[in-house]
Amino acid sequence: MISVGTGIDVGSIGVTTSDNGGLSSDQIAEMARKKIVYVSDDAPPAIKEQAQVFADRVEDVVRFYIDLAKREERGTICQTLRKAGHNDIADFIRRL
Amino acid sequence: MAITQAMCTSFKSQLLTGTHNFTNSSGNTFKLALYAIGGGGKSGTTATLGATTTAFTTTGEVANSGSYSSGGGTLTNVTPSTSGTTAITDFADLSFTTATITARGALIYNSSATNAAVAVLDFGSDKTATSGTFTIQFPTADASNAIIRIA
Repeated sequence: MISVGTGIDVGSIGVTTSDNGGLSSDQIAEMARKKIVYVSDDAPPAIKEQAQVFADRVEDVVRFYIDLAKREERGTICQTLRKAGHNDIADFIRRL
Repeated sequence: MAITQAMCTSFKSQLLTGTHNFTNSSGNTFKLALYAIGGGGKSGTTATLGATTTAFTTTGEVANSGSYSSGGGTLTNVTPSTSGTTAITDFADLSFTTATITARGALIYNSSATNAAVAVLDFGSDKTATSGTFTIQFPTADASNAIIRIA
């Protein structure tokens, strides 16, 4: 007799939510880190510790550049609004 | 009355009859709908989802809010690949914005194949966004974690 054993599995998803606005830089950075680095529960302790340090560093870098991108985008929007004569709205957005 | 995470049994059968095509762009259109329990669905309905679910249903689906409308959001397929001896497929993360939603789980289904059910996802607890963003993040696409794995 010949048999073939096959398993079909469904993975675990994550859900991230926010109130009164979009996701924060911290939430997005954490989501990015989870996509970039996966630390297995079964990894040897020394490797697991190193991987966690790397994951934390990745998250810090991603968070920094998310914040930078948000500031730069706001700056571009403010400048576009000022050019169109909407200084009050531009100032409001700049203060966000 | 519950939502139990499972690969739908009908989906397993349909894999053997070539019903589903997860290829990016040229494949089928897969969607993800959100569901609530405890009467939290539209019109006070409650979701009952699990391995025996065969197709998308509006019973227990969350009400329209923000960018969420009945039927849920369209997923972006990632063309299936292999990792070792395991075949895997993945989807891009999905977000519903400016929404007020409380959901306990979700259903992935194939809207190109009479809304045939693929998998039921259990969030483990109610997840709520209030005038905000509700994001579904799919796991790392590898042999141990991918959303759909055939080993």
